[in-house]
Amino acid sequence: MVGLSLGEKHFIQGGIAQDLRSDARKRLTYRPIYVETGVIPQANGSAAVKMGATEVIASVKAELGKPTSLHPDKGKVAIFVDCSPTAAPAFEGRGGEELSAELSTSLQQCLLGGKSGAGAGIDLSSLSVVEGKICWDLYIDCLVVSTDGNLLDALGAAIKAALSNTGIPRVQVAAGATGDEQPEVDISDEEFLQFDTSGVPVIITLTQVGKHYIVDATAEEESQMSSAISVSVNRHGRICGMTKRGGAGLDPSVILDMISVAKFVSEQLIIKLDSEISAAEAREEE
Amino acid sequence: MRGLQISLNQTQKIRFDRALEKIESLSSKSNSNATVTVADSIPVNFEDGVLKGHGTSERDGEVVATLCGVVERVNKLVYVRTLRARYKPETGDIIVGRVIEIAPKRWRLEINYSQDAVLMLSSMNLPDGVQRRWTAVDELNMRSIFEENDIVCAEVRGFQHDGSLHLQARSQKYGKLERGQLLTVPPYLVKRRKQHFLQLEKYGIDLVLGCNGFIWVGEHVEAMDNIVKDLVSKSEQQSSVTTLNEQKHHQSPLETRQNICRTANAVRVLSALGFNISIEVITQTVELSSSLNIDIHDMLGAEFYVLVAEAEAERRSLLTKKK
Repeated sequence: MVGLSLGEKHFIQGGIAQDLRSDARKRLTYRPIYVETGVIPQANGSAAVKMGATEVIASVKAELGKPTSLHPDKGKVAIFVDCSPTAAPAFEGRGGEELSAELSTSLQQCLLGGKSGAGAGIDLSSLSVVEGKICWDLYIDCLVVSTDGNLLDALGAAIKAALSNTGIPRVQVAAGATGDEQPEVDISDEEFLQFDTSGVPVIITLTQVGKHYIVDATAEEESQMSSAISVSVNRHGRICGMTKRGGAGLDPSVILDMISVAKFVSEQLIIKLDSEISAAEAREEE
Repeated sequence: MRGLQISLNQTQKIRFDRALEKIESLSSKSNSNATVTVADSIPVNFEDGVLKGHGTSERDGEVVATLCGVVERVNKLVYVRTLRARYKPETGDIIVGRVIEIAPKRWRLEINYSQDAVLMLSSMNLPDGVQRRWTAVDELNMRSIFEENDIVCAEVRGFQHDGSLHLQARSQKYGKLERGQLLTVPPYLVKRRKQHFLQLEKYGIDLVLGCNGFIWVGEHVEAMDNIVKDLVSKSEQQSSVTTLNEQKHHQSPLETRQNICRTANAVRVLSALGFNISIEVITQTVELSSSLNIDIHDMLGAEFYVLVAEAEAERRSLLTKKK
């Protein structure tokens, strides 16, 4: 990120205060979102999402595994983020590890709920094959190709799109397995079950600059932020997770106000994202 | 344009493709037989004695291209000019740069080139406009003129003997740019023209097209007032710091800001479509958007992209008809 002169900083802050940002967006308007699905044919599901100059790719791989003893009826999901050096020179070598770890944890908190599995946005019980013995493990890997602010929202949208593109192979369990035996499973190569993504939440990041909050901040606007809250909201308006970033403290009333703003913005974003995902899948079929 | 990614519906796609085809058919008449790729042999009349320039080399007695581009001939010189190249400064270019370092008696600017440009203290006018030599006291106050990360508009003075690039900012129209936004476009889209500054009186904005691909769109600032403002702000600096902050914290009025955003979005659309950026094209695009009453943010939507492509096709067909 190049530095900004004092004049540019005042221009950005003044624009946000007057509800007219550098590219003429209002404070609560997203940049145009472009979704492409099926970009990685070897994966079970994949999607590339472009929000302005921010570009991320998410891929989903499904493998059979053993469920944990705490939750024998649930599958497992692991989310990893990798910041590619093409995004910024600072990410070369191990420079991007800190940001990758932060994004991975935030995504896990927003989409998977707490350690006990409560409040997860992704329904893990649909991933179970044989209770206590076999379940599907989903490995969601994300790659940040280019960064211009608002990485968390773009990653959330990419994961949602990749999951809607995911086909889990149909599994035939051999009957008659009893006790501690591992049942025989036959993984079909042809039939796939589409993953149910109606419950997957979207992530809305609200960045506070001065006295106002903006949605979908560019990298320049993010450099001026005092604090940021990322809320994941699902289709029914329920909050599935939340993280706060930034050095400034926030008054609790401000946080509640930001959450209600996020819920309001999420309705339009979910509609927009769903239409973009279906347009992308229509394009893929052509 | 490379991989333009916007969602177009069916009719928009048809109109867009038709406009692009029209543009391509108009341009291909001129230079289609002069384009070469690597290892193509260049037809050359050997009796004249040919000078092999950039992008060519001799192989088996033939002149062969080493770059992909268009063959240009100037008297006996034959060279290959690439279409998309890194910015290459020439003397007299107007450029916009960002200060990255303050060194003894000079500022170092980043100008989207392979090396940083140098703006010598002696190539600048004194802030109070008096014609005298720069003294040691002035050298200590360099930071009060340009700080780190400031945006500066200057002219290329030339390359020195040691290979460094020097700039000069002796005229009133050069200097610090504030109250606006800087846009980055591919440098090959900004061709060298007679006019790189534009003052749109009715919108109240200033536009500076840097040949290095940095384009500044900002509020109109009177050149003379800058000097007076610097004097006033310097005297205020001694009295109190808070009033200085208030002065610097000037808020652009909403209407000027809307015009700045409209012009900036016009430049963004042109750069995404890969059309050459010049003052006429920018003013035409801005007028197109305001005449059709398109909301400023919708200028980055699919419909406006198609409109701009169609307008560009119209413009180029008019130009070829005039010829």
